[in-house]
Amino acid sequence: MHTLTKYRHVFMVGLQNNLVYRWNILLRGFFSLARLAVVCILWAAAYAGVSQIGGYSLGQTFTYFVTLIALQFIIGAFNEDYQIGEEIRNGIINQFLLKPINYYAYRFTVFLAARTVSGVLVFVPLLAIFPLLKPYLSFPGDPWRLALGIPALGLAAMIQFTIAYCFGLLAFWFLEIQGFVILSFAAETLLSGQVFPLDLLPPAIFKIAQMLPFYYMMYFPAGIVAGRIEFASAVSGLAIQVVWVALFLLLAKTFWAAGLRKHTAVGG
Amino acid sequence: MPLRQYFRIWLACLRYSMVRTMMFRFDFFLWTVVEFAWMGVNVLLIEVIYRHTDSIAGWNKYEMLLLVGTSMLIQRLLMGFFWTNLFEMGRNVRNGNFDFCLAQPGNPLFMVSTRKLDPDGLANTVVAGAVIAYAIHRLGLHPGVSGFFFYGVLVACGLVVHYSIFLLTTSMTFWIIKTEGVEGSYFTIVDFSRLPRQAFRGIANVILVYCLPAVIVSNVPASTLIHGFRPIHALWLVGVSIVWFAIAVAVFSRGIRRYASASS
Repeated sequence: MHTLTKYRHVFMVGLQNNLVYRWNILLRGFFSLARLAVVCILWAAAYAGVSQIGGYSLGQTFTYFVTLIALQFIIGAFNEDYQIGEEIRNGIINQFLLKPINYYAYRFTVFLAARTVSGVLVFVPLLAIFPLLKPYLSFPGDPWRLALGIPALGLAAMIQFTIAYCFGLLAFWFLEIQGFVILSFAAETLLSGQVFPLDLLPPAIFKIAQMLPFYYMMYFPAGIVAGRIEFASAVSGLAIQVVWVALFLLLAKTFWAAGLRKHTAVGG
Repeated sequence: MPLRQYFRIWLACLRYSMVRTMMFRFDFFLWTVVEFAWMGVNVLLIEVIYRHTDSIAGWNKYEMLLLVGTSMLIQRLLMGFFWTNLFEMGRNVRNGNFDFCLAQPGNPLFMVSTRKLDPDGLANTVVAGAVIAYAIHRLGLHPGVSGFFFYGVLVACGLVVHYSIFLLTTSMTFWIIKTEGVEGSYFTIVDFSRLPRQAFRGIANVILVYCLPAVIVSNVPASTLIHGFRPIHALWLVGVSIVWFAIAVAVFSRGIRRYASASS
């Protein structure tokens, strides 16, 4: 109970810290709408001669991309790696080493607070253009999609955060981690289905993509919600997602232990 | 100051940038790979879409590749020559270091824009060039010397437009001090330049093709290679680049007059 209270305070402080950035988040939301416009124009033109691409209509593809935008704000880890790297470099991390607090749990709570704020705020631009979007949206109504989609979202958030956390911990060894972060971001953007729906890949490559963790960071929950993943694949996918979460948690633990041995606690 | 002097200053900056890159070789390698990866993402998108359709707004796969390659080339040129300088201008205005640029005996805009070059951005212009060359080869085009000349001039106009858009966004710092993230608006506009002009309909066509120079910067040079030189399109792009450059310089100059330096 005591532990919960501790992290509840962290969460509340995190909420307040993030509310300071509400205008930046809203601005990013509106930039996302511009990206959505790019996607719309491109795919509408691609659908001009054909009624279906990869077995899906324009409306279904469009629904997928709208879902992606919402999910980026609800579960995406965007600068957590940078923040963690900075805390290590500046020696702020030292204070956590002296307190009865688990650094991973602390950072994850801050991440949850940040996503609560951005996840709510993203609906401002989306609702603003909802009348325009409505005729093109076609969410499937199956109740199982909600039942499996919510745990898939939670696990995807954990994978996103834990990977970012591991990247942040690289600051124990490297002075500059932004290059690594942006490089992995390119791989992640592509392989998590943010450039195009992954099921449009040639079947053999799609199979490989399904084995990789990126698939479970965004495409998997978005595919369940937007109707691109069927029940059987959703169930087996959830199992694989749990395995990836466990593997990354293990990696984070290893990095943390090795990093602390290397850490010299300068400054702080 | 005569033009020759400016050129010598620019050469000195070039030499300085190269020396700096040699000092941080791993960084250069890493950032080159990063930019290369992002270009790969754009090329893959085309590859995947054209697996399922033959034409996007009348452009076939290799025409589209040429368009995307052109858009990437212009963007990499901006990254290589001007990005870091204009990006740092925003920061310098905020913390008062901009005084240093104003104190130099030369045109402030030149001094602000040319201090640093990014060799990783320039290295990737070669990759963008390779994408364009591959598309030309697959399309069986033979533009000849004049074709490449017109293409080069139009790409240069595209670079002027991109430079002007980015200068306009960073010049906002003179009025609104907290502008972290405004460079996002540049990327937003540039995103549209990877799309064929014919894909824009209705209000999007009016705003993005005719009002903002988002789409024509890449479409006009690419079409010149594919369909040959069309004076009316070329004049359109040249005119647009002059107008936007003039607007950007005017805004920048007004901004400098407002600049009150920061105490430190």
